[in-house]
Amino acid sequence: MGDLDRTIHEPARLRILTILSGVDAADFNFLLNTASLTKGNLSSHMDRLEKAGYVSITKSFKGRMPHTSFSITEEGAAALKKYWEGLDAIRAMQEQNDIEK
Amino acid sequence: MPKKKQYQPGDPRQIVLWARRYAQSRTISFLVQWVFIVIMVLAIGLAAALTQTAHEQGRMGLFTLSVGVMILSALLMLWFSISRWTSDLIFSITNWLYGREGYASWSGSSGKEEPLPLWLTGLSGGLLAYHLLGALLISFNYMNIRHLQPWSALYMTPFLIIMVVYQRLGFWAWIWPVLYGIHGLLLYFGLSWRFGREYELLNIVVPIFGYGLAAILTGHLYSRYALLKLKTLTRHAIPDGEGTEEEADSGTQAGDPDNG
Repeated sequence: MGDLDRTIHEPARLRILTILSGVDAADFNFLLNTASLTKGNLSSHMDRLEKAGYVSITKSFKGRMPHTSFSITEEGAAALKKYWEGLDAIRAMQEQNDIEK
Repeated sequence: MPKKKQYQPGDPRQIVLWARRYAQSRTISFLVQWVFIVIMVLAIGLAAALTQTAHEQGRMGLFTLSVGVMILSALLMLWFSISRWTSDLIFSITNWLYGREGYASWSGSSGKEEPLPLWLTGLSGGLLAYHLLGALLISFNYMNIRHLQPWSALYMTPFLIIMVVYQRLGFWAWIWPVLYGIHGLLLYFGLSWRFGREYELLNIVVPIFGYGLAAILTGHLYSRYALLKLKTLTRHAIPDGEGTEEEADSGTQAGDPDNG
């Protein structure tokens, strides 16, 4: 477990990053809906992910309306890939141990 | 393009697939474009029919007016397909309809910021010029109006396929060009199931209307299914932890819509 990225290992952040890795960009409401989080929680996790360099935030205007969208960064995608590989390795090790027992 | 991997049912990595499928199937923006295209096709078609009548009856005033309407409709259609105003309008309508569930995009499927590349804009312009040419050929009796839909399908089908591939849309988007192309072939080879002389124009309008709407509605229904799958999978494949690290509810937070 020591090898797993603690930033990603938190279930809410894992949800957010996994969802973002499937799209180019998503906004706050979409993540709120699909990750099943409260506004405060989502904001806090997005802050943490942004500080880690795993997501980027783009603020723009669509007509007169402000629009904020989130995207996973290359660094975030690489960290997520490494996380899944780490988790797969742990699972494989556990299965091997179960067989040996 | 990432390699496709097979995951066990319930594997959290399937979230990626369903998020993408959802983003690829948001079709309200296409509905707005579709309505405009249909209006323009109707305007061009009606003006062409009027031009033909005016030409036959030698009414020069009406002839000039209908040619003017035809060109104006074509220019309006071109402007609509490239203007910034259009993308803002589409975003506002999409936001009005989909606002509560939020916004997600996948390679231009619903809200790509960049304008179309020049070659694609050229193809869009070519589409208009081609249909205008068809309308003029009919007006001057060089082509029978019966052949308007097959004529249209000859350009429209490959054009729509290029758009589908370029925008990396979901399976639903193929319904439109494929059915429109097949319809064109059937009409060209003498399908008897068609509208009669007075309603000849409907032979092009109904396929554009019908297959376009069928594709868009299929996409919309599929997006509902994909969203449901995505929500369910997210909740079950990555369950909430025993105690999350943060339960922050105060202060200025990243991207909170209440904070702009």
